[in-house]
Amino acid sequence: MKGTMETRQIAVIAEHRNGVLTPGTLETLSFARELESLLNLKTNIVIAGKSIEGLTYDIAGMTGMDVIGIEGENLDLYNCESYLAALEKPLEELDPAYICTPHSAMGYDLAPRLAVRLKASCITAVEKIGKKGKSVLFSRSQWNGKIILEKEPVVKRAVLTVLSGSWPEPDGRPEKTGEVTIITIAAETKNSRTIEIREAVRTGFDLAKAEVIVSAGKGLGKEENLPLIYKLSELFPKSAVGASRAACDAGWLDYGHQIGITGKTVSPKLYVACGISGSTQHIAGMKGSQMVVAINTDPAAAIFSVADYCIVEDLATFIPCVIEKYHKLFSSHKESE
Amino acid sequence: MRILVCIKQVPDSEGFITINESNGWIDFEGSYRMNRFDEFALEEALRIGEKMPVDSIDALSVGLPRAESTIRKALEMGASRGIHIITEESSDMSAFETASLIASFAREERYDLILAGVMAEDDMQSQVGPMIAEMLGYPSASSVIYEEIDPERRTLFAEREIEAGKRECLEMKLPVLLTIQSGINRPRYPALSNVLRARNQEITTIPSQSLQKPVKRERMVALRYPEALSKGIVLEGNEGEKAGSLLQILHEKSII
Ligand SMILES: Cc1cc2nc3c(=O)[nH]c(=O)nc-3n(C[C@H](O)[C@H](O)[C@H](O)COP(=O)(O)OP(=O)(O)OC[C@H]3O[C@@H](n4cnc5c(N)ncnc54)[C@H](O)[C@@H]3O)c2cc1C
Repeated sequence: MKGTMETRQIAVIAEHRNGVLTPGTLETLSFARELESLLNLKTNIVIAGKSIEGLTYDIAGMTGMDVIGIEGENLDLYNCESYLAALEKPLEELDPAYICTPHSAMGYDLAPRLAVRLKASCITAVEKIGKKGKSVLFSRSQWNGKIILEKEPVVKRAVLTVLSGSWPEPDGRPEKTGEVTIITIAAETKNSRTIEIREAVRTGFDLAKAEVIVSAGKGLGKEENLPLIYKLSELFPKSAVGASRAACDAGWLDYGHQIGITGKTVSPKLYVACGISGSTQHIAGMKGSQMVVAINTDPAAAIFSVADYCIVEDLATFIPCVIEKYHKLFSSHKESE
Repeated sequence: MRILVCIKQVPDSEGFITINESNGWIDFEGSYRMNRFDEFALEEALRIGEKMPVDSIDALSVGLPRAESTIRKALEMGASRGIHIITEESSDMSAFETASLIASFAREERYDLILAGVMAEDDMQSQVGPMIAEMLGYPSASSVIYEEIDPERRTLFAEREIEAGKRECLEMKLPVLLTIQSGINRPRYPALSNVLRARNQEITTIPSQSLQKPVKRERMVALRYPEALSKGIVLEGNEGEKAGSLLQILHEKSII
């Protein structure tokens, strides 16, 4: 908006809820800082909303970065059409080389359309920045985390979404505050309107309180194997049964059991992942666990990269074996006590 | 009402994937199947077809010749027409290229509703659906977990799944593009009658070269395996020995 245009810019599109930036946005700011220092660029934060002036100044103070606040009647809740309408012109004027957003429900809804509109490259779920000669490379996982691709934009602009958990939230307060620009845009929409955000339906039991969680994945194979998971969890006091989304989709367990970005976030003392491949969406919900045991037939499964103890076995035979051994080792003397 | 469902053939997650150093791409040993998220999208289209009059439910895949089997699976599930945009390139095809091909086909067809999966299980980009919508000027919503069409008003109400089970509710004017999240329905097994019908059904094939040729906007520079298996300890021995060591460890840590 101001300043010289010789230095290309980075723009971070901030996501906010109830007047605060989302954790994903804070991580994206750390991502932008790394990119800044690598390429000697300057980051601007772009934030859209209905009445966000106060928030805009808060952010400028908190980050020391320049902030462009876009205000508009239609920007109360996130809507793809209104956000695109609001962001297009300010971004064209700022002409950033990199436009970054968290890989969140907003980010992956908005980024691909924004990239097409701004004739930019689009790289989603970035988890690492690298440099090779003059090229800046962005790493992302494919095939359930088994292989990592390094990609490079080949046009002068790129829209990037940043995978949650890949950068820390920034700490410390900068000495000087960033500059604030507020603009008002009608951001009218013809074809789409966000009505409301509906809160999650609460389910009865409490995964958050469990000290041990035994989770079932698609590798369970069939519903008839579910008792194995319950029996294994019953070996531990204060335990609960969790699940991957794929296990819930199969109808084996209710969605209330689901762990991950669209399910529950847990941090038990022990997390036992049975037949779970370890998609980034699942790992995001359980990586705070103090100890992780993974049981999987595939030695290359990504879940093993976050596990403390890796067991390459078929859960259908391994779990019964554990239960049987447990009873031999512990139950007999417990009974005689 | 005309519906298009975009489906992708992906390597089954049970197969083995390794980096092929000589061609800079991957080798895959295992079977191919329909992307799970696309199965949910197709099922949703079929359910719409059971609720209201629908002229056609087309299933389209951009892919190598082998993707035909996945299109046939869509016909078995109940799609009315199969369309195959055949590509030759076996390495990384960008989402932008795929979306451009689909959009240049779909523009002429004037679909009222286009459905895709929220992401492909193999490259996990979540880009193709929204890109098609932008190219066609349709409103879109991704990660949709509930939808309801009002055919009189020509509107679509959708609920998107956002973080921690919350839902964003929105209303859009048809034509609309949705990317479908898993769990919106329970995909059906093909009925025998459909399997028989699908066996000999013609699939419309379109060589990708005959459509507008998009230019890549990013390139793949390298492939690598993730950093070594973190700090994890791999338990050794036979099944019984592993079970024993696990219990031992948990006992030492006072968990059991
Ligand atoms: C927007 C979005 C949000 C999502 N949110 C979530 C979320 O919150 N939580 C979530 O979990 N997922 C989520 N997903 C889905 C996620 O991408 C994966 O599809 C899902 O986590 C896969 O579940 P899985 O590991 O059980 O299945 P798969 O990936 O199919 O893995 C099954 C595993 O079981 C192993 N296996 C097979 N047989 C056996 C056996 N006999 N013994 C032992 N192991 C065996 C296999 O080797 C494989 O590793 C989300 C996806 C999207 C697009």
